[in-house]
Amino acid sequence: MKARIVAAEDVLSIVDLLRERGHEVVAPFQVHGADTIFDTVNDANRSRIALHIPNPLYPPKRFVLPHIQRLMTIQQTDGKLRFEPVLDGRRLAVFGMRSCDVAGVGHLDRFYLDRDFRDTYYAHVRAGLFIVNFVCSVPGVDIGPDCFCLCTDTGPAARNGFDLQLMDLGGRFMAVAGSPAGEELFSAPIFRKGSPDDVQKRREILSAARQSFLSRTSWFSAAVRAVSTGSVTEETWEEIGNRCLECGGCTFVCPACTCFTVTDRPAGPHRYERVRVWDSCALAGFTRMAGGFNPRKAVHDRRNRRFFRKLSHYFVQRELSVACVGCGRCAAVCHGDIGMPTVVEMIRRGAAKEAAHVPA
Amino acid sequence: MCRHDEENVYLPRVAVLERVRDEIPDVRSFYWRFADPADDAAFAGFRPGQFAQVSIVGAGEFPASLPPSPTESERFFTIRRVGSCTAAMHELRPGDLFGVRGPYGNGFPMDDYRGKNLVFVAGGIGIIPLRSCIVYAMHNRQHYGRVQVFYGARTPTELMYRSEMAEWCREKGVECHLTVDRADADWKGHVGVVGSLFKQPGIEVAAENSVAFVCGPPVMFRFVIKDLLSMGFSEDRIVSTLERYMKCGVGKCGHCCIGVAYVCVDGPVFTYEQIRKLGEDI
Repeated sequence: MKARIVAAEDVLSIVDLLRERGHEVVAPFQVHGADTIFDTVNDANRSRIALHIPNPLYPPKRFVLPHIQRLMTIQQTDGKLRFEPVLDGRRLAVFGMRSCDVAGVGHLDRFYLDRDFRDTYYAHVRAGLFIVNFVCSVPGVDIGPDCFCLCTDTGPAARNGFDLQLMDLGGRFMAVAGSPAGEELFSAPIFRKGSPDDVQKRREILSAARQSFLSRTSWFSAAVRAVSTGSVTEETWEEIGNRCLECGGCTFVCPACTCFTVTDRPAGPHRYERVRVWDSCALAGFTRMAGGFNPRKAVHDRRNRRFFRKLSHYFVQRELSVACVGCGRCAAVCHGDIGMPTVVEMIRRGAAKEAAHVPA
Repeated sequence: MCRHDEENVYLPRVAVLERVRDEIPDVRSFYWRFADPADDAAFAGFRPGQFAQVSIVGAGEFPASLPPSPTESERFFTIRRVGSCTAAMHELRPGDLFGVRGPYGNGFPMDDYRGKNLVFVAGGIGIIPLRSCIVYAMHNRQHYGRVQVFYGARTPTELMYRSEMAEWCREKGVECHLTVDRADADWKGHVGVVGSLFKQPGIEVAAENSVAFVCGPPVMFRFVIKDLLSMGFSEDRIVSTLERYMKCGVGKCGHCCIGVAYVCVDGPVFTYEQIRKLGEDI
């Protein structure tokens, strides 16, 4: 992979380069209070793009899997019925996507593109997406109290899945190309060759960043083992279920969640559009069938479902990673404190308690 | 399983409703064909037990099993009016258009069951997906041993496909046994749950070299499984087809995922052994 150095005052010029190449660029902004969001860059807000801010809670996943996505129009006129696919032709670039979210897109790629059926809509949006990864390095700002990407092996610096990676070396940024399209940007005069000092500096910053995580160890492998072998007790699931408020927040902020529902809505005379909308396994109606039968009524069964889907060995093998990227958003939004790190810990403790009862 | 790289898997093909047939109260069969005959290629050679996604304009899309056997030329769905989409489908009249995509799912491995006796146990509208296998077995009579159909419904008026059943029974080595929960004045047959048929005089169900197909409401399923296991059927010789809320049919939307299986792509047909390991109510 090729790397270059870009001066701090030139780093936003990368946004200009992408816009010149026909991309609609989205980037992180600080908004009211402590809130941060991804928003479309225009001439007016370009200077307010902020890299060293907490990662927005509403994940950039929506730029590859829109929260609401039109699939087709359904038109019935003059005795004819037509299903016309709606394919979004936008070419998006996400500037400042954190490594956890890059890993999330990688997970979605494997889920939507590499299985028995290929998702046309996802493939279409994904093909136009350019990812500028930003490496988290400042404790307390980039790296929040809930971050645990060290435990999921997805950060703080992504190893792949980006077109361009930026890392703040203090006064200058190191840019690493992750794709031919990323490397192509290096033809711009803002990029200059780096020195061995820059590489050394990168290593030092990364090493310091790794030391600054509040949760540096977790028991993912123990949780994966317990979930895969079915040794998590009903008691543990009930305890987890009791704390779930069924708000669905964890799934809506998750960069690796994939579930959606589909609905047809009116779009004019004799015209409907079929849209897909993010859905959540935390909600009671998720599995309710026409007629009212619901095979998964209890809250703890639904929690069991979510964590089984994310942690079981079977799916880890199928998708080549746990369906968790360590972003910590579920931990941040959960009112009942049953985000992924807590659940992993509860599963581990439950399994340990169980093991203690086995006679020697 | 094949990959569908180029086509848009979510896009339905236009179907024309040719005629309808009322089966029992609230259950109707819809005979249809694709508006463009070329679209029918996807359905040529579907497997018994597979399903399709049906789109009704203004209502939405829902999964529906395919009751015809692939050996039959007519395409039809048998649909109970139960939710908003199926209610809208019941409003369709001959000549009306709707959307169909599929077929999806694994289907019953009928080839693996060659040389075996087939025992079909259906409750209520559970007969709909099993009809495909029964007719398939009738049309490939030489490949299968004895065929027994045990079918129960709440009342005599809720027993469907009855004229066909009478036809099947004329075939040598084929038996159909009916039962109802509540008889009416005209009912001369058996009264009781479908499992009680197994113990009736003159009925012999041999587990040896047999496969049992079970489909019906959850309660019936649990009791019939118990009966079959006690009669000596092994868990891998009991097969069923599961029903789940589904939106995509292609393993993406996540609604039908139970345990390690997506019902739409890994199922809907599972052996009882698999179902037990999935660990969720039927």
